[in-house]
Amino acid sequence: MKPKLAPVSEVKPEARETILRIKNLRKVFRTNGSFLTVLDNIHFNAKSGEMICIFGRSGCGKSTLLKILAGFLPLSSGTVLLNGKPVTTPGPERCVVFQEDALFPWLTVKENIAFGLKGCIKDKKAISEEAEHFLSLVGLSEFRDYLPREISGGMIQRVALARVLTLKPQVLLMDEPFASLDAQTREEMQNLLLSLWIKFSHTILFVTHDVNEAITLADRILLMDKNPGRIRDEIRVDLPRPRKKEKTEFLLFSSKLYERLHK
Amino acid sequence: MIKEENTKLHNSVFQMLPWIIPTISIILWAVISETGLIPTYLLPHPVEIGKAGYTYIFGTPGKAPFAGRFLSDAGASLIRVFSGFAVAVILGIPLGILSGRLASVRKLMSNTINGLRSVPGISWLPLAMIWFGIGIKTTIFLVALAAFFPIYLNAATGARQISPLLLQAGAMMGVRRLKGTFAILLPGAMPHIMTGLRLGLGISWAYLVLGELTGVPNGLGAVIMDARMLGRIDIIVVGIIIIAAMGRMCDQLLKTSMQFCFKSARRMT
Repeated sequence: MKPKLAPVSEVKPEARETILRIKNLRKVFRTNGSFLTVLDNIHFNAKSGEMICIFGRSGCGKSTLLKILAGFLPLSSGTVLLNGKPVTTPGPERCVVFQEDALFPWLTVKENIAFGLKGCIKDKKAISEEAEHFLSLVGLSEFRDYLPREISGGMIQRVALARVLTLKPQVLLMDEPFASLDAQTREEMQNLLLSLWIKFSHTILFVTHDVNEAITLADRILLMDKNPGRIRDEIRVDLPRPRKKEKTEFLLFSSKLYERLHK
Repeated sequence: MIKEENTKLHNSVFQMLPWIIPTISIILWAVISETGLIPTYLLPHPVEIGKAGYTYIFGTPGKAPFAGRFLSDAGASLIRVFSGFAVAVILGIPLGILSGRLASVRKLMSNTINGLRSVPGISWLPLAMIWFGIGIKTTIFLVALAAFFPIYLNAATGARQISPLLLQAGAMMGVRRLKGTFAILLPGAMPHIMTGLRLGLGISWAYLVLGELTGVPNGLGAVIMDARMLGRIDIIVVGIIIIAAMGRMCDQLLKTSMQFCFKSARRMT
């Protein structure tokens, strides 16, 4: 049942090209005549195949940022460019894995994974084969005919991951996808994500409020502040992979990160 | 998987559950009639009802009043119920889904729908007779009008409570607008749509009798009206039982055919 992990090799994002550019992004919510600046002066780039963790306390606007990048929310000012083109609507090149269960409850595991394929592939057999391929990638082949309500939270997130991978997105936007899982399952999911990342080398923006998760996954961590939400600091994680949280250098890194958090 | 416990739990007893109340009622009714607690002109003996029902269903037409009318009455009523119900579905589901999703449509409809739905069907009867004359059109109008509201309101609630996450997930996977309606809104709203359809179909039967008050020659409602004129209380009771039985069968048929046609009806209701 546990998926086989590919050996985690070294990925050097420095050598790659920048595909996502966010410039002076600002988001203001208007409620009953009063204005609330949720995001202010957000400015960063992401390189192709880079794993970026957006780290911050709840309410700092990190989910809002992800929703803007996904095209679910309009921005108030600034630009978001993917491959030089402005992002305005949702699209399969920027896929989201949500924190909550967002699977279609009337579709089986396999049908959920095949859902996005129907738009681009016409041949039913090809869709089924493609869905089977991704089912086995996330280790759920035996559960293909189960409904979302019949599987565990960890499995639901596996399906959520698989269904967006079928669309071959350039950017994966992950909104605290493992936050509601138990520690062991979370670790399993992190390993699965890393192995898939190495296989497909997506650019990943991963929102989290868990220090260890950020250090385990990220090439780079963006620290966010709240009121208004802005990027306070940027930390490069240069620990060799695979990163084990029992190792000394991991512990040293996390204590350094804590220091910067409370600065 | 979830139903496993039920199937194990004395399957045969479980299957008999729906028949317990009707059976006990008939037995009680028979006992009361036998003891003569209630005079037969108020409530005839069940055996009398059985005989009247037999004549109504299997008798040779013309031999006795009401003999053998069942097939033509039931046929006529079924056509009226289904036509009226179909009109209600065709209008109610699209309008309901629209107003569930679009605040402007919801606002636009709010006064009209919520006002009209509290008008009792019987008050439409004189108007409908002027507009449509005596006959099938009036009945269909009344049935459609009555069935529309639960179908519309439930479709609207169903479409409104769909998690925005599902719509966002659909949008990022390239499903939008019209296609999204069929791929996400319809199945997502299915449990509510089913409730609306079942309520609507039940009300259709209820309004059938009202619609057939207008003096149409045949139909299950017309039979009850004729029997009332002739003081045949046994035929009235037969009519009531037949309408209840047909209503129940239509409900089951609706459920089964929806579950046959839609995955979402099969898996979520």
